[in-house]
Amino acid sequence: MTIEDVKRTDSGPALMLANEAVVRGALESDAKIVAFYPGSPTSEILDTFGEVLEHFGDYKMHIAANEKVALETVAGASMSGMRSFTSMKSVGMNVASDSMFSIGYTGLNAGCVCLIADDPYAHSSQSEQDGRYFGEAAYVPMIEPSTAQEALDMTKWAFEVSEKHKTLVIMRTTTRVNHQRGIVNLGKLDRSPFKKNKWADVKGQYFTVGSVARALKARLLEKAEAIKEDFEKTDFNSVVPGSGSVGILTAGVCFLHVKEAMRNLGINLPVFKLGTIFPLPEKKLSEFINALSTLIVVEELTPYLETRIAALAQRMNLNLNIVGKKSRHFSEMLEYNVPIVEKVLAEVTDKKISLDYDAILKKAEKLKEILPERPPIFCPGCPHRGTLWALRQALQRLRIRDKIVFNNDIGCYSMAFLPPNQFSDSMLAMGASLGLSAGMEMALEDKVIAMVGDSTLYHAALPGIVNLIHHNSNVTLFVLDNSVTAMTGQQFNPNSPFNAGGTPARKINMEKMFEALGADKIVIIDPYETRDCINTIQEALEFEGFSVIISRRECALYGDREKKKHGEKIIPSENVKETCRGIYACVKEFYCPAITIDETDAKMIIQQDLCDGCLECRQVCPVDAPQHMEVAK
Amino acid sequence: MSEAGKTFNIMFAGVGGQGLMLLSAILGKAAVDSGLKVMTGEQHGLSQRQGSIYVHFRIGDPISPLIPYGKADMMIAMEASEALRYVEYLKEDGVVIMSNRIMPSVTETKNVALDKEKKTNYLTVDEIVKKLEQVTSRIVLLDSLDLAIQAGNARTENSVLIGATVACEDFPIPAEEVRKALLALVPPKTINANSKAFDLGKDAGTTCLES
Repeated sequence: MTIEDVKRTDSGPALMLANEAVVRGALESDAKIVAFYPGSPTSEILDTFGEVLEHFGDYKMHIAANEKVALETVAGASMSGMRSFTSMKSVGMNVASDSMFSIGYTGLNAGCVCLIADDPYAHSSQSEQDGRYFGEAAYVPMIEPSTAQEALDMTKWAFEVSEKHKTLVIMRTTTRVNHQRGIVNLGKLDRSPFKKNKWADVKGQYFTVGSVARALKARLLEKAEAIKEDFEKTDFNSVVPGSGSVGILTAGVCFLHVKEAMRNLGINLPVFKLGTIFPLPEKKLSEFINALSTLIVVEELTPYLETRIAALAQRMNLNLNIVGKKSRHFSEMLEYNVPIVEKVLAEVTDKKISLDYDAILKKAEKLKEILPERPPIFCPGCPHRGTLWALRQALQRLRIRDKIVFNNDIGCYSMAFLPPNQFSDSMLAMGASLGLSAGMEMALEDKVIAMVGDSTLYHAALPGIVNLIHHNSNVTLFVLDNSVTAMTGQQFNPNSPFNAGGTPARKINMEKMFEALGADKIVIIDPYETRDCINTIQEALEFEGFSVIISRRECALYGDREKKKHGEKIIPSENVKETCRGIYACVKEFYCPAITIDETDAKMIIQQDLCDGCLECRQVCPVDAPQHMEVAK
Repeated sequence: MSEAGKTFNIMFAGVGGQGLMLLSAILGKAAVDSGLKVMTGEQHGLSQRQGSIYVHFRIGDPISPLIPYGKADMMIAMEASEALRYVEYLKEDGVVIMSNRIMPSVTETKNVALDKEKKTNYLTVDEIVKKLEQVTSRIVLLDSLDLAIQAGNARTENSVLIGATVACEDFPIPAEEVRKALLALVPPKTINANSKAFDLGKDAGTTCLES
């Protein structure tokens, strides 16, 4: 298995997820300090480092409160002479970027690499943000791998570039690279023991403002030039030879789509496979486009490369026909695949497409008409389901369902925007519900409600909370305290008594913190005692001032795993049909995937293998029909 | 399979929590141990259960991690409706190995429950198979739970499906390598039941594809 492959010390082939290959690359580079905040599609990097932490015992790891803290942690380690690594999702860099821009100016010491993963198609993100601009904007070198093998090789190379030029190096990926599994040739693993340095031996000055900043800026420009010279020479920027005067420029996973599309079409165009997003190897690119009449630029999201190559061609006075997004051949929307690329290549080279993909999609669409949707949903046993049900009842009793504004935040509970809850007048970014609430509380007559999870609370909600309390705002905040960062795979956070790899850490006392901040009302509810929550929520909503409702119950996936670890049984529930009166409150108002209908008698039936035995559905049922099975799962 | 350009594509489909990733890991190990090149495009995303999930699994000489539409030689569906959800990937006359298990979504359950005339029914396996038959006749429909219970452990449904793959004559991994990989990756206590489930799946697959 791949964890064993991450651990092994010899070289040789292994089947690995690119995210695991990145970990292996950092370990082969003898990285000593790593820090992360989880976020798809990078979470497996954090998880893998956590899983092998105890085995190696020669590096230190933090699950940081947020991406900015994580980046600062690894930058601090680099300043202290230790190789360090962090990774974050696209929007994570938005949080970290404040420090990242300054780190660009000050430079660093020991090798320091930051992976950022964009998410074309927004599989699990709030936007299809294009993170490639960060490199250029901060003058920080940025590289991009295509395969799991390159993910390993480029991680190692990034450490070398970083150390040589005393700069942070960003490795940019996309979901389809992170979540790609392939054969990877591992290098040897030769770790050194962990040993603290003395500041006197490693120290430098990492300070930037005013005249210092201006001096640093001048040096930064020189540094970028020097890095560019290196990037002109690296094999990660390579030309795959081909024939004719039509060429292709591409990078990342699109390079793979291009190669397969060309194979399908039986064509062999010259391809520039770009490995460095910033600085661009302009000399090498000039030589490539100089021999072409048409250049096809294949890149997802914005026309980042297209715009820059067009400017280069113009400076060269080239009459180059560029096929890309500006020519409307490719979209700025969504992610690409072989059919999308093949269609454009077929059109430009006047070849017949290998398969009529449009016809296949059209036929499939027709066949799928009978298929019900499978929208994302809270897991069986999820405490959020109970909290949101109780909130709905409280609003109904107060007759204010249409007199509230609900600011949602980032986590599993984001799904509160779906039926049956349909809460969410807004959801922007980590912690944003608090700042929005401040503005809305001043501008609206309605009751303002914000909702965050425990991880989001400590990630980015605290300044917004301080701001609301300071301004005597009349807002009700729900904190869904489920013990872990659930959505990304139940990682620990400052609300957990653990750090990475289950090592001990200090749990922040949430209610004491709110008390110290001066919250006007703090109540704690248990969403499994769903009915009892209604009154408490009602009172908090009616209260004038800053009220906090902490809904406390651990994530069901995390809780079940812990139970199994300790040999505890999970006892599923059954619907007692003699009691059930077919009211369907459980179906209409609850949306638990374990709840289905028995078509023989139209009564609700609980799918035993899915049920978590939380019995929230009993709380929702007016006649208490569901009850625990006597038998254990 | 080492021939340039020759690739055997498998689309895995299922519902979050069914163990799709383990299934893909088993075939991955079997392929690598047989000296075959493997590449996958996996969906990890959010960790909630009961969502639709897939893995693009490619053996031979793949370049892209994603199977192009209409080019999956095989589809392995752990839940019947999920086979139809990814039908655009299935090749004409490709092999479908699917469980007859259906896990209804909550919206479908709501529609069924709230129809006072009781005319709205759950989507059935037959309806799904009829649609799939418009793309291929090679469908192996398995009562995977029943076969797993026959094997002595209700949780060996995935081994039943894995067993059926090797019944397909153009499947590129030798049957014994698949069995070895399977038994290496399941919990040691369950090896006998999983081995039996594999055989039951293989037999059921052979019967289906020959008839």
